[in-house]
Amino acid sequence: MRRKEAPGSDAEAAVSVSIPRFRRVKEQTYWQAVLAKLLRDKLTLAAIFGLAVMVILSVTAGWISDQVLGFDPTTTNLTRRNAPPTWAEVAWPIFQEFTQTCQAGGVTTCRWSLWKAIFSASLTGLRDCLAAPRGTCHWMGTDQAGRDVLSRALYGGRISMRIGLYVASISMTLGVVLGLISGYYAATFIDDIINAIIQTLGSIPLLFLLIILSRIFQPGPEGLSFLIGVFGWMGVSRLIRGQIFSIREREYILASRAIGASIWRILFRHILPNVSSIVIVVGVFNVAGAIIAEAGLSYLGVGIGPPLPSWGNMMQGSLGNFTDAPWLVLAPGLFIFLTTLSIYLIGDGLRDALDPWVK
Amino acid sequence: MRQALTRYIIRRGLQSLFLVWIATLIGFTIYQLAPGGPLQFLDDDPKRTAADFDRLSALYGLNRPILVQYLAWLTGEDWFTILPGGAAWQSGQCRVNAERCGRGILRLDFGRSFYFKGSNVIDLIVERIPATFMLGFSSLVISVAVGIPSGIYAALHRGKLPDHIIRVTTVLVNTVPEWWIGLLLLIILGGYLRLVPLGGMETIGDGSLPDRLHHLALPAVVSAISGWISISRIMRFEMLEVLNQDYVRTARAKGLPEHLVIWRHVLRNAILPFVTGLSGIFLIFLSGSILFELVFSWPGMGRLAVIAINSRDYPVMMGLFVISSFLGIMGVLMVDILYSFVDPRVKYEL
Repeated sequence: MRRKEAPGSDAEAAVSVSIPRFRRVKEQTYWQAVLAKLLRDKLTLAAIFGLAVMVILSVTAGWISDQVLGFDPTTTNLTRRNAPPTWAEVAWPIFQEFTQTCQAGGVTTCRWSLWKAIFSASLTGLRDCLAAPRGTCHWMGTDQAGRDVLSRALYGGRISMRIGLYVASISMTLGVVLGLISGYYAATFIDDIINAIIQTLGSIPLLFLLIILSRIFQPGPEGLSFLIGVFGWMGVSRLIRGQIFSIREREYILASRAIGASIWRILFRHILPNVSSIVIVVGVFNVAGAIIAEAGLSYLGVGIGPPLPSWGNMMQGSLGNFTDAPWLVLAPGLFIFLTTLSIYLIGDGLRDALDPWVK
Repeated sequence: MRQALTRYIIRRGLQSLFLVWIATLIGFTIYQLAPGGPLQFLDDDPKRTAADFDRLSALYGLNRPILVQYLAWLTGEDWFTILPGGAAWQSGQCRVNAERCGRGILRLDFGRSFYFKGSNVIDLIVERIPATFMLGFSSLVISVAVGIPSGIYAALHRGKLPDHIIRVTTVLVNTVPEWWIGLLLLIILGGYLRLVPLGGMETIGDGSLPDRLHHLALPAVVSAISGWISISRIMRFEMLEVLNQDYVRTARAKGLPEHLVIWRHVLRNAILPFVTGLSGIFLIFLSGSILFELVFSWPGMGRLAVIAINSRDYPVMMGLFVISSFLGIMGVLMVDILYSFVDPRVKYEL
């Protein structure tokens, strides 16, 4: 590693006072070192860029669907239900013909020569679509009620990402606070109670509980996030508890207890900063997990209900006809994939970056 | 030693029973929290009167204190008469006709379904358990059969191409919902290529073994993905951990061939934590069954849950919740006991 920020920089700086020929090493705080390491990590930078694109797309969804696409996400058009993407209108029947040739005898009878026609038709379609005035081209087809899938997917990002953030903040708050408390009070009554709750929640199938609760209360995005978050803090809490075991025996905790610091001060001023890197990384992964969980619940029909689009409930519309309209499955899934992949890579990069002095 | 083990098993068993009781409590509380209550359907009837509410409440015993209702739900109400003044605790229909007394979930009476008119909830669930278990068991077998070798392989070739491939696959599979992968494969393999059926457990009228396996293949493989990944991750981590131990160095130093070092010394110690991982995987299969069974039209408990949820069939929902919690808790208990047999070093503390 080219270490401009070697841990011994203090010592070197001290030496440089007496021997002026030494090059002065710039001092770096922990967070500066983290940032420097992050900026050197190309994959993480790409992931941050990807996530930024997804966020901007969903934040500006209103403008994009209005000014660029020309479709409202909730306007239905019953004459164009389950229509393929406009650029693939010619290519789609050829593709269907191709699949029929395959069905005759497994993969052996496929007429691969049809793909030439599929490609050229799609290319012409794409060219026409780019030139077409707005409001005439469905880039990702239409759903079972004739709504434009792309503009719904853009709006759906608002809901899905919002839920991801909410769930992560709820479950992280609960997990960190309860983890800190049970770690600090390990092997006492408080710790036993928290462990009992974790064990109970850990041994019942939570998805059953979640779908019953969300069917009964029919929550909006905030309520749904609360439900998912309240049942998702156990892993974080266990992790933090384990980490604290080693920290609470350190001298500086003892010192701070000796000068009479309150428990909350010890927990949040002295212990929490020492587990902050783990908290950040787990929190980032939690956002991705929550987006996937929301998609599952909405796909089951108990999460976010239509007409409000979310990536999960868009796929619910494909339940009966997914072979005739695969874009209903593909489009939202692709959005989920790009978003969660970016988040995962960011989390992975952060895990490395938050240990800036480790090679 | 043996005594300690027996005591441990008894304590874990009692603890699990307590957890089951907590689960019934959670289930009943949720049922009570439902806005509107069981008589909400009367709101749709313009000719209803307040007297109708009272009559039906008395008939179904909804006017009783909540604790009595819980007791009736849990243990049944037919024996209430042996208590002094207990007859007043019975619901109206029970007092009129002893046949219609609730017998309580302890005796597996979860009431009758709203949606499947008049069917006993327990019958609906019991006839679907085999399908769910078949799917869950085959995915468990697949995920173990794939996960352990791939984890070992990744650990032995750390930092090389196979390890990277396994890691990238892990990330990719982790970033999309597994049921979405199933849906895509179903569209391509089932819809376009007709290599696998589009759903169900067997072709109607053909329950032969090859036909059943044909239907089982895709759902089992897809629902095994998450288990496979977590098993291979645990396996890789534990292998690397054990490979750093002193006794492995000793084994190599005394000139043992590498494959014997791996088989005799590394694998044996690395495989233990995998057993603890099993309990989590068991729950994943039980919970995941809902989504996978919806995607693959698999006629199991999860599919029943979706039907019950969409038709607001509360008795079936409660029954499914309590029974699946029971199965989950028993699964975890079984794994714990298994672990204490496999690893004699385990501490018998709670």
